[in-house]
Amino acid sequence: MNFLQVFIEAFRSMNANRLRTSLTMLGIIIGITSVVMMLAVGESAKKFISKELEVLGSNLMIVSPGANRTQGVRARTGTAPSLSVDDALALNELTSLNGAAPALQGFFQIAVGNDNTNSAVLGITPEMFKVRNWKVDQGNCFSDSDIRGAARMVVIGKKLAEQFFYKTNPIGQFVRIDNVPFQVVGVLQGEGRMFDGGDLGEMVLIPITTARATLMRSPFPSNVHYVVVQAKDDKSLKDADQDIKDMLRDRHHIKSEQEDDFRIDNLASIAETGAKISAGLAAMLGAIGAISLIVGGIGIMNIMLVSVTERTREIGIRMAIGAKPRDVLLQFLTEAVVICLVGGVFGILLASAGAAAITSTGKLDVEIGFGAMLVACGFASFVGIFFGFYPARRASLLLPVDCLRYE
Amino acid sequence: MVGINMVTNMDAKHKAINQPVALSSAQTQTLIDIRKVTKSYFSGGIETQVLFGIDLLVPQGDFLAVMGQSGSGKSTLMNIFGCLDQATSGTYRLNGVDTLTLSRSELATIRNRTIGFVFQSFNLIKRMSVAENVALPLIYAGVSRDKAYKKALVELERVGLKEYAKRLPNQLSGGQQQRVAIARALVADPPLILADEPTGNLDTQTSVEIMRSLQQLNAERGITILLVTHEPDIAAYSKRLVRLKDGHVLYDGPAVEGLQQLAQSHEAHAQAAPASSYMPQDQSGD
Repeated sequence: MNFLQVFIEAFRSMNANRLRTSLTMLGIIIGITSVVMMLAVGESAKKFISKELEVLGSNLMIVSPGANRTQGVRARTGTAPSLSVDDALALNELTSLNGAAPALQGFFQIAVGNDNTNSAVLGITPEMFKVRNWKVDQGNCFSDSDIRGAARMVVIGKKLAEQFFYKTNPIGQFVRIDNVPFQVVGVLQGEGRMFDGGDLGEMVLIPITTARATLMRSPFPSNVHYVVVQAKDDKSLKDADQDIKDMLRDRHHIKSEQEDDFRIDNLASIAETGAKISAGLAAMLGAIGAISLIVGGIGIMNIMLVSVTERTREIGIRMAIGAKPRDVLLQFLTEAVVICLVGGVFGILLASAGAAAITSTGKLDVEIGFGAMLVACGFASFVGIFFGFYPARRASLLLPVDCLRYE
Repeated sequence: MVGINMVTNMDAKHKAINQPVALSSAQTQTLIDIRKVTKSYFSGGIETQVLFGIDLLVPQGDFLAVMGQSGSGKSTLMNIFGCLDQATSGTYRLNGVDTLTLSRSELATIRNRTIGFVFQSFNLIKRMSVAENVALPLIYAGVSRDKAYKKALVELERVGLKEYAKRLPNQLSGGQQQRVAIARALVADPPLILADEPTGNLDTQTSVEIMRSLQQLNAERGITILLVTHEPDIAAYSKRLVRLKDGHVLYDGPAVEGLQQLAQSHEAHAQAAPASSYMPQDQSGD
């Protein structure tokens, strides 16, 4: 007996009991939907996070100054002027780091002609481009001499460039930052949310020296708001963390019993949290999937047992005219597998609809890959074989003489 | 009555041993060779013996009717003939193959190639079309779908039901369904047809048609036919009669004589006990 015939008969007997078949299938449909969604959401979240990390820059840590204490009241982290450009330069020499880039940050009015907006302005060194993996689309970034000379130069984000200069070339034109004119030397590539909540496309970058000289004057002429450091790779993050701690404690003459006057935040750990949340979601979907598949499988087993009993006489007829025990086993097993596979296909369709719904919210692009579909079909077949085997085996062990006597 | 039975029983034994030898000595080959076959059922630790050492030789081309009242063991014997059930002891050689040593799978192959079944209740599969029902034995034999259907149509044409090929069995009359069953029994060209009360669910007119077609198969295609019935009218279509009683062969010989004997014993029985008219009709087979 060939497989085509077995499949045709399986579909026929499913069709003969449409309501029963579809109710039986429901558990499998829900299970497969969950499994496919789990795989898709897990995969999409992973992609989303790695994309996010790309924008943030990989293996980044933010070193910020500690809090100011005024008469015992602890102020916001970063309020103490405890981190300096020299600290950044020293950190830059650490072997566990790729680089350390100091930054001053302020919020200013940006204007071109009559058009204006408010945006964060970062005073940086060329190091910043390196550690955060920023690229300049048009023009150049600052050179070391620009830094030394406190040049009034600015690199702006793509969105800002489009807003102010529309389609004209922004390079060489002037923007006023807090009414101080700066010449645009470059436009930053890319856009997207960053760790501080700002958008890469709306960045305003000026040399750190210029920032200190014009926009962000301070009684502490060498302090910086934060230092962005990049570890060599994700394995050296821990070492880097320790190295930074040791160096800064040493430089700041902090005694062993005193607490740090700075703080190190690991961007990777922020992303890790995101990954954990999506992994949790995927695990939940997986659990729902597993439970529904088990329950659905038991349902299939139950229905197959009923079906074997109902069709005892048919089994007898088939055996009388030449069906081997193996043929009968195969017939019922195929039926169970076909129910599961059809349920699996419906599950994939349902999951596709779910994925489309999630994607349409714009928060996450969920795509159901070919791999997820294959895994779903594999799971469905496995459930069919696992739960269909016992009833099928029972059918195959029936004696033809008993079956033919069965009413 | 007991006395008559004893005599016929001995008579039958005598014949059963001698007759097949005479038949098989010619060109005819022995198809069924049953020796000392017993069958017991075990239920709740209690043994119930149904067949007590049956010996039977059936040459190819024979048309044998097995008669007996319910409980005589004729169904059990039929199931053993059909390889649907295994004998408890004894030997059963079908077409030269010792069936008692075969696995269930091998028995299925024997049934598929060697035996065509015709049942009282037709036993067609309801969900399948007439042609599919007829083709099924070939499908199980591993024949391709196309070839199986072509052969099924040929067999359906022979029983005059080709135009019903696409119908479902329950859209046909009882007689038509039984003809479909005959087509199915013949589709794999088996040398033997087992017909278990083939006319039990049919009216007289249709019964005659079915029996004539079986007779025709026997005469024209040389197919051996084993018929189980309790009706003498139906048994009359056969060449040879085997009567069973309580698991023993009561008579084995030409059908005409056997039926005459049966009618006589019946008459004698009726005279001896006229009140026995309340006996169920099944008694007529005894």
